[in-house]
Amino acid sequence: MEVRRKVIVITGLYISFTAAVAAIKPGNVPVPEFKNLKVLPKNISSKELSKIMVDEFQDDLGVSCNFCHAENKDSHRPDYASDEKPEKQIARYMMRMTIGINKKYFKLRHPMIGDSTLAITCATCHNGSPHPENMGTK
Amino acid sequence: MAEEKLIIKDKNDDGIDRAGFIKCMAWAGTGILWMMSGGVLKSFGLSQMIDKTTGGLKKGLVIPASDFSFVQISDSHIGFNKAANPDVVGTLQAAVEKINSMPTAPSFILHTGDLSHLAQADEFDTLDQVLKTAKSEKVFYVPGEHDVLNGNNKEFLARYGKGTKGDGWYSFDSNGVHLIGLVNVVNTAEGGLGVLGNDQLQWLEDDLKGLSNSTAIVVFAHIPLWAIYPQWGWGTRDSAQALSYLKRFGSVTVLNGHIHQTMQKVEGNITFHTATSTAFPQPQPGMAPAPGPMKVPAEKLRGLLGLTSVHYMEHDHTLAITDTPLAETAEKVGQ
Repeated sequence: MEVRRKVIVITGLYISFTAAVAAIKPGNVPVPEFKNLKVLPKNISSKELSKIMVDEFQDDLGVSCNFCHAENKDSHRPDYASDEKPEKQIARYMMRMTIGINKKYFKLRHPMIGDSTLAITCATCHNGSPHPENMGTK
Repeated sequence: MAEEKLIIKDKNDDGIDRAGFIKCMAWAGTGILWMMSGGVLKSFGLSQMIDKTTGGLKKGLVIPASDFSFVQISDSHIGFNKAANPDVVGTLQAAVEKINSMPTAPSFILHTGDLSHLAQADEFDTLDQVLKTAKSEKVFYVPGEHDVLNGNNKEFLARYGKGTKGDGWYSFDSNGVHLIGLVNVVNTAEGGLGVLGNDQLQWLEDDLKGLSNSTAIVVFAHIPLWAIYPQWGWGTRDSAQALSYLKRFGSVTVLNGHIHQTMQKVEGNITFHTATSTAFPQPQPGMAPAPGPMKVPAEKLRGLLGLTSVHYMEHDHTLAITDTPLAETAEKVGQ
């Protein structure tokens, strides 16, 4: 009876271990949908990424995709992974700066671009313009 | 409509509550009726046709005789939920109710893009559910840039692209009119300008080859095919080539959305027209740092959604909203 119980326990542990290993095998790890993300989370969903691109960049800066994203020379479509345009690097710098300001001065624990809790967003300075310094003050 | 009846709960002190907003949208214009008569298209804002108190056709209104009619709606942005319109489903439903109030159901509906705000399946689902209630035989679509965000037009094509070519362009015939749906949002140029691309232009040239010069042509696409305000991407980089193929036809009408306001221009044989949005207004060209959703007081919606004239000068061209109010037309017809 005791031996039978041990066999059941060991079998159970083996099955659990095997399942756990299978779960972390490369083939089962979710492949990030988007390439070359350096500031935004690598596992960001399509909806979250689209919302950031539309709300933070298109609306808050008044720009379209190719303001930051280079064109693929063959397909003539935006090459979203490319770092060819300097504006993309500037956008990353700006996102880091925005996150930093929210963390340092507004004591937000894990601020992320697109969060509704942010105290400072792209719109705080840009307000619909790609270059806030050109908005002018009268 | 008395203003005091519009603003009931003004929680944000911005002059807009939900009920008031929808009431204003009811008279502000959320669709355009197109009637074909003798090869000439005439447009009528649905708002001018519907009695806002009864929801039916205005009393004494005479609908001009036409060969057939269709409705254009645009820029529904299902999924959008910012202050410019927190209820885009409600305003789309209001547009459908206006369509359903027409004395004769339109032959079909054209949706000129930006069905969704973030190209998500649930957003397309919602739009489909609302448009299913429209009394019309069919709805034809072209994508807006919001429907193909992040280079993904698979969802749009799977739902609305059956039988189309390339990125979703196609043509069909109805009542002797040749209609062409073009896609100018998949490849975009610097500054957000639309692009048709060589493959589509080649297809367009071939598509038109077999047609006689007297065939009435209607072209519809999301981004305007005329240079309204290129600084904001309100134009299509290679539209001139497409338009050159259309020069030989006696009657050409080009319908677009994207700019969320009504503008019309006649150039030779071609009439260009952009539609209002069913979701939110955008600023007039050059009147803001950039295009985008515009939050406006309820009492200003009517002006900003395109029922009054817009005058704009660029490169010595005057653009003006010329949608003819049906009431005015009916009076002229009756004279």
